[in-house]
Amino acid sequence: MSYFRITILKGFEFRKKDTLIHKLDPRAKAVYVIVMSIIVLMFTTPIPSLIILLSSFIIVVLAKTVKEWISTMKGIILLSVFIFVVNYLIAPVDKLNYAVSMTLRLITLTSIFSIFFLTTSPEDFSLALLKLGMPYEYTLIFTMALRFIPTLARDLQMIVDAQRSRGLELERGGAIQRIKKFLPILIPLIIYEIKRSFMVAEALEARAFGAVESRTYFYEIKMSSLDWIFSISLVILLILVIFSYITGTLPGWLFWKIPA
Amino acid sequence: MRLAIEVEDLHFYYVKGEYVLRGINFEIKEGESVVIMGSNGAGKTTLIKHFNGLLKPIKGHVRVFGKDTRNHTVAELSRLVGIVFQNPDHQLFAETVEKEIRFALENFNFPSNEIDKRVDKILRYFGLERYKSASPFNLSEGEKKRLAIASVLVYEPDIVVLDEPTIGQDAIQRKRIINVLKELIKSGKTVVAVTHDVEFAVELFERAIVLSRGLLVADGSVKEVLTNQKVLEVANLLPSQVTKCAWLLEDFGIPRDIVSIEELKEHIYKVLRG
Amino acid sequence: MKERLITIDHVTFYYAGTEKPALNNVNLKVYRGDSLLITGPSGCGKSTLCRLLNGLIPHFFSGRLEGEVNVLGYDIRKTPTHVLARHVGMVFQNPENQLFLSSVEKEIVFGLENLGLPREEIKKRLEEVIELLDLGNIRDKPPYELSGGQQQKVAIAAVVAMGPEVMVLDEPTAHLDPLSSKEVLDLVFKLNHELKVTVILVEHKLDMTASQVSRMLIMNEGKVILEGNPRDVLNGYHLERLGVNVPKVVEVYNELKKRGIILNGVPLTPEELVERIKTEKLRLTYEVGNRS
Repeated sequence: MSYFRITILKGFEFRKKDTLIHKLDPRAKAVYVIVMSIIVLMFTTPIPSLIILLSSFIIVVLAKTVKEWISTMKGIILLSVFIFVVNYLIAPVDKLNYAVSMTLRLITLTSIFSIFFLTTSPEDFSLALLKLGMPYEYTLIFTMALRFIPTLARDLQMIVDAQRSRGLELERGGAIQRIKKFLPILIPLIIYEIKRSFMVAEALEARAFGAVESRTYFYEIKMSSLDWIFSISLVILLILVIFSYITGTLPGWLFWKIPA
Repeated sequence: MRLAIEVEDLHFYYVKGEYVLRGINFEIKEGESVVIMGSNGAGKTTLIKHFNGLLKPIKGHVRVFGKDTRNHTVAELSRLVGIVFQNPDHQLFAETVEKEIRFALENFNFPSNEIDKRVDKILRYFGLERYKSASPFNLSEGEKKRLAIASVLVYEPDIVVLDEPTIGQDAIQRKRIINVLKELIKSGKTVVAVTHDVEFAVELFERAIVLSRGLLVADGSVKEVLTNQKVLEVANLLPSQVTKCAWLLEDFGIPRDIVSIEELKEHIYKVLRG
Repeated sequence: MKERLITIDHVTFYYAGTEKPALNNVNLKVYRGDSLLITGPSGCGKSTLCRLLNGLIPHFFSGRLEGEVNVLGYDIRKTPTHVLARHVGMVFQNPENQLFLSSVEKEIVFGLENLGLPREEIKKRLEEVIELLDLGNIRDKPPYELSGGQQQKVAIAAVVAMGPEVMVLDEPTAHLDPLSSKEVLDLVFKLNHELKVTVILVEHKLDMTASQVSRMLIMNEGKVILEGNPRDVLNGYHLERLGVNVPKVVEVYNELKKRGIILNGVPLTPEELVERIKTEKLRLTYEVGNRS
């Protein structure tokens, strides 16, 4: 077992790049995520998900984050297989169709959400939450949690290295034994991170956190006309799709099922 | 004398293409005392993780007493190469100091009467007997460091590797660690330390290997290497105070490759008393 | 007459649930422009002393506090940390735990936002600090892409931007390699010498710090054992027993003294030692010359 990396998390890590998608206001991107998720969840057939998946891939290309996106997709292969098998077993009719559709829904939703997180900095996300009414302390908790994920991953690796160097073999043993073996990893990690949180709190105090009722927000996010056009178009699309769905005017091939 | 560690054309990266180690070659004989130096990011910690198989070479080979690390588990190699990492907080987990020390011995399947004997012996050696049933988390920083070292030395690996043993230590703690290492070296163990503490290196070790950006830039006696201005610059290291004095007193005929305070004193005395 | 900024008067402090005092009847006065170096073995109380200065003790760390502490006119018992933090900036050992945001710029701006300063003021200070500490080429970088030394410089920048009269640094170079340590310490001393910021520095690396400060304190078991000019303080024997990393050149000075050679003043750096040796050599040559 060589050096392990958390590939799924990698695909959700923000990278600063100079693309149109990165420049979009997080609220516009949130509209995209919500609209597309609703549409995906409306259908239990594969084609709609495929369409949205492919269109999301176009956005990924525009955002120049293909490598990271592939990382995420690789990361959910196991989960996808699991979903496929479970749905195949529990579906009353049209087993193959149901399993494939549910799996595609998972993959598409993952793709949509990862676009959001890959192209939105944690601070912009927090600013968006702030503008939507969330108290500052909570948005800061969120930003800091994201900032410390790679740090935590590194600490975990150091602990695993130290304990393996004392003969701890994580690969061996039955189920119960293996769980017990995680104690020498979990305990130092939890204690270490608790200590860290005290030190972070001290540093926050030293930077006058909480000094005034109305703190200044140096950075802002503003919805540009592009953001508005983008958001409104998506909402219109959603309304059209829902309307057509209810009135039965959607094209038939969207409801094509995989033959059993 | 056996070869303790052989590193042959070692290449390694964490992220594809971004090599952290680029073709390292050296051999360490049994009983040698070696420091591995270089600035942060030079690849020192990455290198030592190859000694017990935590990392396997992307290209090249690492052998411990002739065994290729690719063909052995970390547990097997750790039995021969004990690594003490920098931060004790990354390993302390047990309810008592005694259990902490027993951990490695139990993992390596030592017989239980042997375990009891060794635990008591090592506690006495490090002056930690009164903490036998105490929680490791209640110890002071210096005591934790000693506990971390004890929990590796207790199973007597043939090769002992320490990652930055003096970082953040005050003078008393430093002295204690230096004394422990002195005895280890005297008893014939192979001791390797990663450090950027030049004073520590010149006090204890015979040989210095210097890394810079993944390349080996120097390998020789501590005296030669750590008084070489070019090497120090390339590796982002500063000369020890004693060496700096020697350089500044060049005009008085004092040699540039002085590392020990005794030598410096003698030379100065000669200069002033003729 | 130098202005007194900090008065620590007969202070004893017990952390909650402990029986041994972390500080034991400590008295200290710090004046504007001072550069004070505090050293001593682990557990001697140096970090505890630092945390009095911005009110972390007694507000963040509970315990029993006896005596009086006055910082720039404020009684620390009655003043919350966020008020003291404007005047006393604190930098800690581990840079990782002082950088919370995803870029250097955001980090510097954070404290100023907390103080509620107007945007134009924040912009002005941001640019000043980036210029002063030469952070221009890393201003957009996230903390994990920076080296330890750079991270610590950013932590210092983020605190300096708040404009404190006093900077307290608790072992800022503990996790840094020698060159990065030198960079960070040079910056600290620049703040003191050029910008007249009062600096209180806790350090073990005396070879890099003792020659740059005006005052030095050695602590042990919660008490101040020695205080004064670094040269006087480091002149004593047996300091290693106190857990003090006496610079090697001081050792050389003491050894020469034992053998009857008394150089003119305790050297704190190799340059000073060499200078004193040259002076002594000249003196001897002159002496010999006079005799003949």
